Amino acid sequence: MPRVSGCSIRALWILNSQDAVVFSRRFPVVERRWRASCKSDVESGTVPLLPTDSELAAAFVDRKKREGSARGFGIRVPQSVEGSDSWVDDPITRHIISLHINKEEESANHLFWPFILHMKGHYCILVLPLVEPHHLRTYSRMCKRSDCGNAIGQDEGLSSLLLALPSITGAFMVAHVLGDIIMGDAQEPEVVVITSPSVGGLLDSLTGSIGISARAKPVAATVAASTTSNTTVSGSVLSDAPRIGSRTLDKDSLRTFISSAMPFGTPLDLSYSNFSAIKSNGFSSTDLPLSDRKQPAWKPYLYKGKQRVLFTIHETVHAAMYDRDEIPDSISISGQVNCRAELEGMPDVFFPLTGLDTTRVEVISFHPCAQVPEQGGEKQAITFSPPLGNFVLMRYQAFCGIGPPIKGFYQLSMVSENEGAFLFKLSLMEGYKAPLTMETCTVTMPFPRRRVISFDGTPSVGTVSNTEHAVEWKIITSSRVVSGKSIETTFPGTVRFAPWQTQRPNSSGYGIRGITDEDSDTELESTNNVVNVEEFLMEKMSKDLQSVDLEEPFCWQAYNYAKVSFKMVGAALSRMSIDPKSISIFPAVKAPVEFSTQVLSGDYILWNTLGKCPVAVTPKI
Amino acid sequence: MAKPPSSLKPLSPQEWETLMEDYQYGGSRRCRWTSANYTALPLLQLSLSSLLRKDFPLNLKLRLLVFLEEECLLAFEESGFEIEQTLTLILDALRPLIQAPIDGVSITYSLKDQFMLSTTSIFITATSDAFPILPQLESLIELLLTVINRPNHGLDRQTRGVACECLRELERAFPCLLSEIAGHLWVLCQSERTHVAQSYVLLLAGVVHSIAMGKANVSILNTSLPLVPFNFPQFLLGENCWGKEISSSSYKELRRVMSFLLEWPQYLTPCGLIEFMSMIIPVAVALELQASLLTVQLSGLIYSFDPMLCHALLVLCLQFPEAFDGQEGEVANRLVLMSREVQHYLVFRLLALHWLLGFIGLLKDGEGRKKKAIIGMSLSFYPTVFDPLSLKSLKLDLLAYCSILVDGSISPGGHGVLGSDVIGSGVSVVKLLEDGLVSVSGFKWLPPWSTETAVAFRTFYKFLIGASSHSDTNRILMESTIFHTSEGARNTRYSVDEHIYWGHPANSLEKRHTVTTHHWLDFSFSDVSVILKEGWVDMAATVVEFVLTLPTFMMQRMLVDMILEFQGLVPVMVSFFDRLFSCYKHRWLGERLLQTLDVHLLPKVKIDNRLGSYFPVFDRIAENDTVPPIKLLELLTSFMFMLVEKHGPDTGLKCWSLGSRVLGICRTMLMHHHSSRLFLGLSRLLAFTCLYFPDLEVRDDSRIYLRMLVCVPGNKLKHILNIGEQLPEMEITGQRQEPLRVMDSKISEIVGILRRHFSSIPDYRQMPELKIRISCSLRFQSEPFNRIWGFDLPANTLDEEDILPAIYATVLTFSSSAPYGAIPSCHIPFLLGEPPKSDYSLGQSDSFDIASVENGTAEGYDFKAPVMVELEPQEPIPGLVDVYIETNAENSQVIRGQLQNISVGIEDMFLQAIMPEDVPPDAVPGYYLDLFSALWEACGTSSSTGRETFLLKGGKGTAAIRGTRSVKLVEVPATSLIQAVERHLAAFVVSVIGEPLVNIVKDAGIIRDIIWKDVASDSAIDVTTSDPNSERGPLYLKYHDDEDERGSQVHFNKKEMGCFLILIFLPPRFHLLFQMQVCDVSTLVHIRTDHWPCLAYIDDYLEALFYV
Repeated sequence: MPRVSGCSIRALWILNSQDAVVFSRRFPVVERRWRASCKSDVESGTVPLLPTDSELAAAFVDRKKREGSARGFGIRVPQSVEGSDSWVDDPITRHIISLHINKEEESANHLFWPFILHMKGHYCILVLPLVEPHHLRTYSRMCKRSDCGNAIGQDEGLSSLLLALPSITGAFMVAHVLGDIIMGDAQEPEVVVITSPSVGGLLDSLTGSIGISARAKPVAATVAASTTSNTTVSGSVLSDAPRIGSRTLDKDSLRTFISSAMPFGTPLDLSYSNFSAIKSNGFSSTDLPLSDRKQPAWKPYLYKGKQRVLFTIHETVHAAMYDRDEIPDSISISGQVNCRAELEGMPDVFFPLTGLDTTRVEVISFHPCAQVPEQGGEKQAITFSPPLGNFVLMRYQAFCGIGPPIKGFYQLSMVSENEGAFLFKLSLMEGYKAPLTMETCTVTMPFPRRRVISFDGTPSVGTVSNTEHAVEWKIITSSRVVSGKSIETTFPGTVRFAPWQTQRPNSSGYGIRGITDEDSDTELESTNNVVNVEEFLMEKMSKDLQSVDLEEPFCWQAYNYAKVSFKMVGAALSRMSIDPKSISIFPAVKAPVEFSTQVLSGDYILWNTLGKCPVAVTPKI
Repeated sequence: MAKPPSSLKPLSPQEWETLMEDYQYGGSRRCRWTSANYTALPLLQLSLSSLLRKDFPLNLKLRLLVFLEEECLLAFEESGFEIEQTLTLILDALRPLIQAPIDGVSITYSLKDQFMLSTTSIFITATSDAFPILPQLESLIELLLTVINRPNHGLDRQTRGVACECLRELERAFPCLLSEIAGHLWVLCQSERTHVAQSYVLLLAGVVHSIAMGKANVSILNTSLPLVPFNFPQFLLGENCWGKEISSSSYKELRRVMSFLLEWPQYLTPCGLIEFMSMIIPVAVALELQASLLTVQLSGLIYSFDPMLCHALLVLCLQFPEAFDGQEGEVANRLVLMSREVQHYLVFRLLALHWLLGFIGLLKDGEGRKKKAIIGMSLSFYPTVFDPLSLKSLKLDLLAYCSILVDGSISPGGHGVLGSDVIGSGVSVVKLLEDGLVSVSGFKWLPPWSTETAVAFRTFYKFLIGASSHSDTNRILMESTIFHTSEGARNTRYSVDEHIYWGHPANSLEKRHTVTTHHWLDFSFSDVSVILKEGWVDMAATVVEFVLTLPTFMMQRMLVDMILEFQGLVPVMVSFFDRLFSCYKHRWLGERLLQTLDVHLLPKVKIDNRLGSYFPVFDRIAENDTVPPIKLLELLTSFMFMLVEKHGPDTGLKCWSLGSRVLGICRTMLMHHHSSRLFLGLSRLLAFTCLYFPDLEVRDDSRIYLRMLVCVPGNKLKHILNIGEQLPEMEITGQRQEPLRVMDSKISEIVGILRRHFSSIPDYRQMPELKIRISCSLRFQSEPFNRIWGFDLPANTLDEEDILPAIYATVLTFSSSAPYGAIPSCHIPFLLGEPPKSDYSLGQSDSFDIASVENGTAEGYDFKAPVMVELEPQEPIPGLVDVYIETNAENSQVIRGQLQNISVGIEDMFLQAIMPEDVPPDAVPGYYLDLFSALWEACGTSSSTGRETFLLKGGKGTAAIRGTRSVKLVEVPATSLIQAVERHLAAFVVSVIGEPLVNIVKDAGIIRDIIWKDVASDSAIDVTTSDPNSERGPLYLKYHDDEDERGSQVHFNKKEMGCFLILIFLPPRFHLLFQMQVCDVSTLVHIRTDHWPCLAYIDDYLEALFYV
């Protein structure tokens, strides 16, 4: 029977892109517990001290060399060596890694596991949670086994180890929060209202209500607009000047957050918005606790002011459109309901799930504040006691309730080595009615491995431009919003590329290299046999493809496709909707309920109908 | 006892920053401070005084506190400083701070909070596991209790929460410490209504946990004892403090407090809930509470999108499986759904699948319900197009797991399942694999290094080995029908194979009733039904077994089809085989795959020039004696026919290359099979080749093989081939085939010499490296030592050794930024100080000195300790070695510091070339000369060996030679040059050529055991003179037109005396060669090396050698 353990962290480190430690924190109280459990464990030998920053950095670099990259191979490949993570042959070893620490004073080499590896921007965050000595031994056996690898469902497998270790899961939560903090991404989910585009976060509700004017009354639109761009901006600044990256890291606020969120290495509250609200506001004598109810730990302040409840449905559409008889298109929607409840006191909100059709909506999960009836969430209603600020109330995965927003095909055919003829035939919002509105729609043809010299052709709707590695077709722009009608459009044209140049891939790949390169005879031979230009080019180009990371769905560069980006408002594609009248609040107060909807495209891909395309079997249920 | 250290110089904020960073960095940067006594108690005192300073920024103070907290663990371990004194100091600093009013500048809540946290942490780390009966601890607890004892106070609520956490941590470290005031804590919990109530509740839960676990019989309701002043519970101080069981009154109280606590989960943060559960669940178990009390509160967690909460629920499930009886399906279902939630970070989706696998593994399987449930879920494990590859990979694992369950659910001996691999719910093993693989189907045409390929083959592997584990018990494997089948089949096949050869090969292959392995694998469904229809009853057992191995069988066919269609997969397939072959348990699977390839691939491959891409597979087939070689030989014979037929003017080297590789495969067969099994087929192939093949070399080689096959008995033949020296160009090296080339006899001789040489050089990536030893000595002078370290010795009595200072247990540690590997430290038990010299000058600063032996004089041995510095250079470059000393003075004072660097020159890297073990002593000079000539040639401009790679010892790493040349004119008279060579390079001279020089050097007798040559017409010198540059000398700019007329020394050829050949080995695997053409007034040194960077140092070296 597994022992019940919480989550404690022995130490954490943050490394920059030069693999130097820029921040570290050790928790001696947890370390003392580790040493005590080693002492009572007969099989543990000498217990090494936690690595110093320099020792850790050296071990990390060492692993990087051994494993090809910071994350490593993940699965066992010919380059994997016994004793390394990829020897274990599991993709999760790209996230949960081991390090061999060489202590400076001893010659011995100590295995430390599990390090949680989270990469954010140019930083690597390593968190070492507390496990028990026998867990470490089990892992050590796993990565040193001399045979060909584990069968699935074995007793001593990585799966049972991970199940027994909530501390690993907790350490990931910690790592992700820290990553968001150092990159400035620790933001609350977006809630949009019709009147003003979006509303601010917890701090705004506090400053608005308490009367401290910490910042000017927010024009919330800027906050909302920066939600996505913020990451990219700070990211690009770092990539331009990685050395500055280490200096811009606000170590003091990181340190304060850690001391407050996990004072002795045991996380207590990882909510960054709560932390920063308390840090900047503190508590005044007017912050009186309720007389009749206890205030939950996740709600340090109570709202005061005008009352209202806002909901925003956010949906992201992923689609693989093939336009082929033998391959069905696949469209999936991932959605969430964001909420902001500006309600005084500690009321409960009753939220019916009647808008959900269980045949279309399949995964539902909720914010911890929601009380879900035991029979399962789909049919009934949930009751939640809202926290302050914006929060994600629920998430769901759904199928498209109405037809796909963009249908049609994309064909690209190479007429010569450096020239391709293409044809789009698209229909947008077929069968869609108001209030569904498409605000923007852009189709991009990326050619990451070829340089576009020029293109030729005019679409029936919209404008076209090109960059060095892509052709971009803007069908709908925000100045010409389309609502409640469908659009048919075609776009024939040609695109010319600079001559193909062989790029030899680097050697960090997964498979075997060298042995194949040896046989240049056969290569020549095979190309001679191919007559068709297209196939010839395919074969030539595919030899240069680099292996992708295991975090990618497939080798994108191996395929020709067009990517559609769009934004829609007005209604959800899953037909998920909220009826403001059915939402009730206890104790009853008069508070208006507003809701809005936003649909964005995720990976919405039109595969070249004339080329290869990645597929997956859709099970028939 | 050391003298109390003088108080340290106060540090500025910047200096503090540096100190803290250096401490965290560790190593030498930390040493810098510790050796200056910025450590232990003095450092603590300094920090505390800095904390109280008003001019220090708040951020620095907070950081300083964290620093103290982090470093104290190490400090306590390292120097065992006075714990009680430390704790008193800290507590005395904390107390006034806590009581001081907040001024927002120097006294803030955050400073108070951090000070409490750090103090608590230091108290806990300072004390060992045993219960610490320290008055300081009592005082600290009392201080914290006064902080928390103001429930609902508005302003300092956060600080009260922190104090609760401090108390909880103390309670966790010293269980039952607060047990006697549990009643007060409960009252506080009930009255606290702000958000920090969580900390109060967790504190109470912690105390309840330790009371229940320790079975301490204290009353939780009792509040008769006052909260403050705090005293340690008396029962903790006694011998038998722990109760044997919980008394009934305690039990009731614990139940009451539990029901209070169980009202709380909805008010806790997710992290707080995890902590809460980790304390509450063990109590519930100890009190034998009904699991439903917990589940009613917590089972909703499974619907949360917080991964931590989901995991907490799983832990609860595992703890109380009966409470979740019947809900396992729902739990499993939620985990699958979690893996599909794209809003999650990828790692949580991966974790969800792992938890699912672990969860299934732990379920008790009543009546196969688990199996049924999992198989029923199989459709939801299908990867989708946009799933990241790692997720696809884990989903494919789950499909493989389903296939194991499906496979296992066919009961052995049941005949009804024949021909139907479709089980119950419509799930078929083959379909699972085929459907699943579609998501990575790009692997077929993507390059073999693609990630898709890696994932696909990993999946093949998982499906193939199925449930057969490597565990020591052998349980699963021994019961597996696959195992029995294969064993049986192997035995059958052996006898049949022998029969085939000795009997009637052609006929036997036609007889279907002879169950050979390759036939057996050839069955398809229709075959099976035919067998049954025809009523071959004796086959029945085999047939049943056959059906059971269906997935394996189908996979084999799949692999064959793939490799036929996509030749790019050959190398991947080969490493797939190798993975199986490297395993003691799954070797047989690899063998069966090869057998399948033998039967199904060989007849289908097209015989054209592209056949070469299959050669790596053929090699594996050839070296496996479980595969009959007949088919392969037939195929290779037809291939050779094709090569002969198609030979034309534009064939080029291809013919030679392919022919040689075919012979390579033949050789592999000869090494691994009975020659009797090969005889017919191989002799036909070789005879044809040596008669008709267009390439001479291939004809020759095949003739040799043929003769060997015919004349040499099997065992001897293998022996000969194993030695391999007779056929250097056909060497099989591990798993790779050396590129083969045509070369003339001279070059092949050079290559042979170099192969032999490199194979004796250890590969530093795999085995201990070659070591460079530099001997030094350590000495120290008494007088400055005494002066610095404060020993009072009368100045006049220094001539007596008794009263000279000494150092004990000295440890010298070395480090270097140059690539010298790890340098072992050196230990000197005892060393006496050197008496003062008369010429001792005050300007000399260091009393310690480490010096290379060569540099110092050899007098006064008594006062020096020899020190051997061992380097393992990974590149032969000069560098500096830093030396750190740690030693003890007589009064047990510890002295730490850094000594002068040791500089390592290029000449320290010089080693003699490694001599292979089998060279007899009298052949050594000849070996060296041959090696010199070979290397000289290889490092020359001609690229005759440029493309060769040479295996290093150990057989994994290889080296290639990229030579560089240089020359240097040394304008010193011959006599001094010869002396210098004799003194410094004697060991490396391999030959002296030319009568005048030979006479001089031979007479001196210093250089011995080398090759002497009177005339400069030998092959060694041939090599050098073939170099056109050597005739002309170095490039020379004339300063004056008339320079030549004045008879400058450029005309070194005038009185040539002879030539030194010098061979120097530079670790880890490089060489430096000198050919010194000695003339009476100057010498021209031709330099060649395969490590061009060393030339940068050689020039200086030669200057120093001859001019100084």
